[in-house]
Amino acid sequence: MAPRSIWNGTIVFGLVTVPVKVYSATESKSIHFHEVHLKDGARIEHRKVCPKDDKEVSSDEIVKGYEVSEGKFVELTKEEVAAAAGERSKLIDVEHFVPGEDIDPAYYDKTYYLGTGDGGVDAYRLLYRALEKSGRVAIARWVFHDRERLVAVRPLDDKILGLHVMNFHDELVSVDDLDLPSPQRKPSDREIEMAGKLVKSLAAKFNPASYEDTYREAVLAVVKRKAKGEEIVAEPEETRQQDADDLMAALEASL
Amino acid sequence: MPRSLWTGSLNFGLVNVPVRVTSAVRDLDLHFRQLHAKDHTPVETRRVCSEEGVEVPYEEIGNEYEGVVLTDEELGAADPKKTRTIEIESFVKLGEVDPIYFDHPYFLIPAGETDGTIRAYRLLTEVMSRTDRAALGRFVMRTKEYLVAIRARDGALTLSTLRFHDEVRPTKGISGVKGRTSKKELDGALKLIEALSADWDPTAYEDRYRKRLQAVIRKKRKGGEIKAPKQDKKAAEPVPDLMAALEETLEKLKNGELQPA
Repeated sequence: MAPRSIWNGTIVFGLVTVPVKVYSATESKSIHFHEVHLKDGARIEHRKVCPKDDKEVSSDEIVKGYEVSEGKFVELTKEEVAAAAGERSKLIDVEHFVPGEDIDPAYYDKTYYLGTGDGGVDAYRLLYRALEKSGRVAIARWVFHDRERLVAVRPLDDKILGLHVMNFHDELVSVDDLDLPSPQRKPSDREIEMAGKLVKSLAAKFNPASYEDTYREAVLAVVKRKAKGEEIVAEPEETRQQDADDLMAALEASL
Repeated sequence: MPRSLWTGSLNFGLVNVPVRVTSAVRDLDLHFRQLHAKDHTPVETRRVCSEEGVEVPYEEIGNEYEGVVLTDEELGAADPKKTRTIEIESFVKLGEVDPIYFDHPYFLIPAGETDGTIRAYRLLTEVMSRTDRAALGRFVMRTKEYLVAIRARDGALTLSTLRFHDEVRPTKGISGVKGRTSKKELDGALKLIEALSADWDPTAYEDRYRKRLQAVIRKKRKGGEIKAPKQDKKAAEPVPDLMAALEETLEKLKNGELQPA
């Protein structure tokens, strides 16, 4: 089945336009549970209730509000929120081309695929080839679902352009905010050397297909056991504290 | 100090480092409350039993899958080891991991008070900062297993959750690069990229949406009328002649009629 695009628009850089279609690139494969009442197994419903009246409120009685001070709200309609989206809402507006390898992966959020849009085969191919050759990615603004996002357009392996939604710099927590403790004694050269050897001994090529989600299977096994009426007991797992004097011994034993 | 989302042990060979996981991204979005239109009372969401119609506390809620109900404790029995430990399986070149796999960034922070814990954490950070490799491991957080890449950044260990390969969709059926590009066009496009090139400086990009939304709220508060801006339809047309568009853009950039953003 051919995938369905979720957005149609145009990449613009200078006077050059590249009509594109946006497709989802990822999907969750986790097991999805339903919430039920343990007592009787009945489904749990999420009901919207006005605490003042203690009555359920239907969706057409609900408005959006932004709290400007304690208990004081400014009401905004859907259209008013959409007004913040920006003017050129059907564009992926390129601002710069930057070296792709300089972007720390922490900036990357969700990824989408870009396919060619109507009448855009030549321009799409040209952008792909030029990005590939230059090693650069296009940093652009994209309005999707009434919200402007920072995105990076990048050539992927499958002759497809990818669109990464990016985090803004002030959204990333700085290491300085973490207040990391310092050890009384720094790791010794010998320890660093041994740990380096351990890293080397575990070096491998990244092969995503070799990692299966084994937890999914484990959960299904528990579901099966429970269905047979077995009692399910979790074994407590102890977290071991690393002993300062043991660090060297642990490294040696690992090798 | 950011909130812990998970605590457990990071295992590297026989070295165990007690760690906690905190998010490396903070939510700066403006959040709206749902209000009862009548009197602007914030609406509450209640978990209600569909049979009895009464509110149900968290402890009395179970997880149902295909007719089988599991408590949170029973779910924890699925893989108790991965629920409490991150086992480093291998070290791969960071550049080999396509950004499409990256999901959410977190920090790992030493969780123990002992000097051994802190020193083991420092040792791992130090060793990781000397290599271009990231440690691959797996752990379970909130009933989902994650493949993770751990690396040193600015003296701390960061953990990025990665998508499993079957969570990345195939590109089959999506129309991509077809045919050949002329050298002339490619040269023109490369020149244009060159002209619009910049160093990667994340601080150069502000969240304009957040700012505009704040402005909309301010205006509405003062009783102003909010108008949606018009869409610029003309700019979205495909160009009839690619080469001409490239040349014209380069010319305009040269004359200063078009400014790089």
